[in-house]
Amino acid sequence: MTFSERMLQIDRRIIFLVIGLCTLLPLLYPVGLPIKITSEVRGVYDYIELLPEHSVFLLSIDFDPASKPELYPQAIAILRHAFRKKLRVITMTLWVSGTGMADQLVTQVAKEMEKEYGKDYVFLGWSPGGQAVIINMGQDLYSAFPSDYGGKPTKDLPVLDSVRNLKDVTYMVSLGAGKPGVEEWYVFGKDKYKFEMGGGCTGVMAPGLYPLLRSGQINGLIGGLRGAAEYESLIGQKGKAVAGMDAQSATHFAIIVLVIMCNAFYFSLRQQRR
Amino acid sequence: MPFELIVGAWVATGLTLLIFTFLYRDNPLFKLAEHLYVGVSVGYIIVKTYDTVIVHLVVKPIVENGEVALLIPVAIGMLMLARYVPKAAWMSRYAFALIVGMGAGLAIPRTISSFILKQIEDTVRPLLSLTGTDGITFSMDVLNPSSNLNAIIILLGVSSVLFYFFFSIEHSGVGKAVARTGIIFLMISFGAAFGYTVMARMSLLIGRLTDLIEFSDASYGRPTIWLLILIVGALFMLARRRTDHPPDSQ
Repeated sequence: MTFSERMLQIDRRIIFLVIGLCTLLPLLYPVGLPIKITSEVRGVYDYIELLPEHSVFLLSIDFDPASKPELYPQAIAILRHAFRKKLRVITMTLWVSGTGMADQLVTQVAKEMEKEYGKDYVFLGWSPGGQAVIINMGQDLYSAFPSDYGGKPTKDLPVLDSVRNLKDVTYMVSLGAGKPGVEEWYVFGKDKYKFEMGGGCTGVMAPGLYPLLRSGQINGLIGGLRGAAEYESLIGQKGKAVAGMDAQSATHFAIIVLVIMCNAFYFSLRQQRR
Repeated sequence: MPFELIVGAWVATGLTLLIFTFLYRDNPLFKLAEHLYVGVSVGYIIVKTYDTVIVHLVVKPIVENGEVALLIPVAIGMLMLARYVPKAAWMSRYAFALIVGMGAGLAIPRTISSFILKQIEDTVRPLLSLTGTDGITFSMDVLNPSSNLNAIIILLGVSSVLFYFFFSIEHSGVGKAVARTGIIFLMISFGAAFGYTVMARMSLLIGRLTDLIEFSDASYGRPTIWLLILIVGALFMLARRRTDHPPDSQ
């Protein structure tokens, strides 16, 4: 057996180990590689930055714990930004499996930013129907969510003062890990009720959402952990996403090297057989 | 540190490490964690759905506010359950008809508007720009999505990929060159999608390892270290047992 043959039949657990080490070592010993801000992430940041105080900002946390490593840092960064800008923050989720996590997330950031529930922000929780909920909110928000996550009637909440439906929302961001998510919010929300919106998504979904960004259907897109790291850099509060960027770069480098090596061994073997 | 946080850290660490054991080989520890995940997820969804839908959106409004009109959607929803009774199964068709009809009616116009018309509008862009005093201009900036050069690239990409999927003409001569161009654009697109997928999977690994590092702290009782030793020991025992009693080849 030649060297190329042996390398092409290498135990896959060795590759797992290499990737594991490439992830673990930069997390333990960070280098602090620079993070370049892309225009798609800046699109969301700039829009929120320019919103006047007390504008109505809707954040739909459309993911569950399975996508937490990518989307949780995005949600934390956006909420910190919105609270810092003194916006009226309405949060909700279209994913039943993400309700508890979303509640924990919103409560944690609001506590950190010293915001008052009901006055500065609200968590509406989950309502069944997916896209039907968006349409229902477009007609009457109080019919879609008669009570908030804690069971309080939404009509009495000061944060929702003068908000009747989605037309009264100044800006909306959906952080989606699938369906319902960013696409549904655009199709059944923005396109029909004409409010401005941005999106955040997992890395897997990002290429599918770029056409919406390019055509101006959404004004910004935060893609995966990388997007979260960019947003954290923009608001100047570096968190878990920025900390993970060194590891991300190291693993990408390792994968590129492995792909090149694999191709080199493959072509070398093919040449030997000829 | 609150007690529930410490318990949560131990549970999260243990389950993460049990799932990671699959990287070594399929084993009972992985199966245990996998079944726990499925069971807890389904249980959580059932409880949340019952609480939100049945209690808060149906029972409370009817009992406390007298909103009896809600009985109509409840009745339509109950028709779905008729599928489990063979003689009454036909009744469920009315509920399905309503859902399919409403769903299609709501989705078709909006989807056509959002994904077909808007995307065509964005694809059909001028290849040259007319400006007030300068006359005709051509912008070459590849990084600017709305530049004329990118408009040409998009035109080439869309046309060649569409031609590749046009099977009524044999792909030979000029047609072959156009179809090959389409394949190149498709390959670039698949490569970009795969690159993002790799990035996403690595992000998930980073997320779990970040938590494992955090939970190796003394304030949590170092669950990462203790559970790692325990699980490696268990895997070693399982491997020895497998050697002593190899599975029946038949």
